[in-house]
Amino acid sequence: MSAQPPPELTAADYPLSINRPDLLRTPSGKPITALTMDAVVSGELSATDLRITPETLQLQAQLADASGRPQLAANFRRAAEMTAIPDAEVLAMYNALRPRASTGAALEEMADRLERTYSAPVCAALVREAAEVYGRRDLLARPVADSDQ
Amino acid sequence: MTTTAPRPTGAAAKQSLRTELLEARPVNLDGFVEEWPEKGLVAMESEFDPAPSVRVEDGRIVELDGRSRNDFDFMDTFIANHAIDVASAEASMAIPSAQIARMLIDPGVSRGEVLAVTRGLTPAKVLDVVKLMNVVEIMQGMQKMRARRTPANQGHSTSARDNPIQVAADAAEGALRGFAELETTLGVLRYAPLVAIALQVGAQVGRGGVLTQCALEEATELELGMRGITAYAETISIYGTESVFVDGDDTPWSKSFLAAAYASRGIKMRFTSGTGSEVQMGNAEGKSMLYLEIRCILMAKGAGVQGLQNGSISCIGVPGAVPGGLRAVAAENLVASMVDLECASGNDQSFSHSAMRRTARAMPQMLPGTDFVCSGYSSVPNADNMFAGSNFDTEDFDDWNTIQRDFQVDGGLRHVREDEILAARNKAARALQAVFAHLDLPPITDDEIEAATYANSSNDYPLRDVLADLKGAQSVMDREITGLDLVKGLESAGFHDVAENLLTVLRQRVSGDLLQTSAVLTADFTPLSAINDPNDYAGPGTGYRLQGERWEQLKKLRHVTSSTNPETEVG
Repeated sequence: MSAQPPPELTAADYPLSINRPDLLRTPSGKPITALTMDAVVSGELSATDLRITPETLQLQAQLADASGRPQLAANFRRAAEMTAIPDAEVLAMYNALRPRASTGAALEEMADRLERTYSAPVCAALVREAAEVYGRRDLLARPVADSDQ
Repeated sequence: MTTTAPRPTGAAAKQSLRTELLEARPVNLDGFVEEWPEKGLVAMESEFDPAPSVRVEDGRIVELDGRSRNDFDFMDTFIANHAIDVASAEASMAIPSAQIARMLIDPGVSRGEVLAVTRGLTPAKVLDVVKLMNVVEIMQGMQKMRARRTPANQGHSTSARDNPIQVAADAAEGALRGFAELETTLGVLRYAPLVAIALQVGAQVGRGGVLTQCALEEATELELGMRGITAYAETISIYGTESVFVDGDDTPWSKSFLAAAYASRGIKMRFTSGTGSEVQMGNAEGKSMLYLEIRCILMAKGAGVQGLQNGSISCIGVPGAVPGGLRAVAAENLVASMVDLECASGNDQSFSHSAMRRTARAMPQMLPGTDFVCSGYSSVPNADNMFAGSNFDTEDFDDWNTIQRDFQVDGGLRHVREDEILAARNKAARALQAVFAHLDLPPITDDEIEAATYANSSNDYPLRDVLADLKGAQSVMDREITGLDLVKGLESAGFHDVAENLLTVLRQRVSGDLLQTSAVLTADFTPLSAINDPNDYAGPGTGYRLQGERWEQLKKLRHVTSSTNPETEVG
């Protein structure tokens, strides 16, 4: 996250791509206005330049909150945290959350990793909540001696 | 489907000529069954559904629809923890259901005022409210509660041979005709990368800013999205009972994680659910179809996805077979909208042999307007529809356009002149030819382009070398081809406008504007969502009205006689 506190947005700032392009950057720090055909042709842009940043997701979360959609805002905040996680690991984590795919300990490890490696406390809380419910509803993988996992 | 076990008739029983005629009507090829509430084979009125209740202690819901927290299954837990606004729940639940139902249809009560109440309701209370409403009241509610002011439509663009040239040409025509979103899927899954590329290129030829998706299993669908080959996703299925959810190998938490994963890559996404799925999958736990669907809708709300595709979807044969089933389907669309989710409202799977029934089934969505009236309409002949056929297909284009004109209703499509269609189809095929050449994929011949320009179905195209195509498809994945590579290919081959269209769509994911509720891209690339195009219906003369330039467009049909010169046609 940037040191600057994010600006206070209202619904009138939407769509950001038209009303507030000044706030939008790519993960490599380019302004969104730098995503031009010339830049594509000259090879200046890579696929990572077409990704959303955590800062932008926080701005969209503000807009969701400002338009009365707290759950959508919470989803964007989890998403902001998830931008740091590589594609393959995102998919692996999703698969680990499927029913009876993980032990309680494995989910706790995943929550720890989300917190420590990716500074993702909101995602970690979702995983811990899942672990608690899965435990109660018999949806955890049973620990197996030796060759567990 | 044919009817089984004919009624016992004596050998000598003689039918009237009229009965013979009625027996031969297509509607009598449809399947109908009696209700069986104990098994959940009942639309929306079952004595086995729970009575509404809520109890809050220390800022936490401890009782939901007659069940205390200790006995919650995971749907109850998720809905109690994430979907229901705890602060307003007890007050909202205390409002009589009849009063909330009246608020839904009263033009003097704004959408926002309704949302302030519905955010605190439990599934059984929502059911209790919509059970009071007949189908006209449900439509009146939908007219006000749809999230986006401007209605839209979604199309299917698929090929029975997974022929990418067909998908590109039909996508271009579909985009030109007005679909705001286009969806594809495959017969042979390994063809997916080529077909998804074809859909994206064709769509951007037809009308810049149309959003595309490729329905696949979750992981591959996400991967194509991450690479910018597709622009959104919707086949993220959820279910209304814990047992069926688990059979689908997911939970509300895994799906919530997936929802955030899509948003983290800037990709628009909605969940999918629908009445009848639980009974079809064999475990409705004795609850009505609509009660279970309302649990899905609230689960989606709690997950923080912006929208939901519902309206029974691929299970439409189930509610379609029971009394009041299509009323329940209209009600489930209304519920999605009245909890402020984007609603892509079904009408997407063939369910009846009767043209009258097929048309009637769509009226509760088409007349009031929804975020996407069909999810989707088959913009290929149904024989090419790899979603098992839609309720409407290419043969119905002129009928759909005429119904729009008859009722002055915007169903998202329009009549387009033949020369424009041929030009778009031809250009889409040529653009795809250029992209395939740029990416060193199996070549597209000029014969194939000629076929694509004038074709109706996959039978009208030269056969592809499928093995070569599948190797090419694999290489797209192995070489990690992205949306940017498609832009480069289009630009270097001189398709500047198409390249620019696609780049603009890709740029959108950096801004995240399409992640907001009900977002689509207009032809001038303005994101249009429930934030900047909120439904402001407040009675006659307000809200979305089909007028001005758009109405002039929809007045045009294939054959309209000129008023000044009856010997000629306009259009």
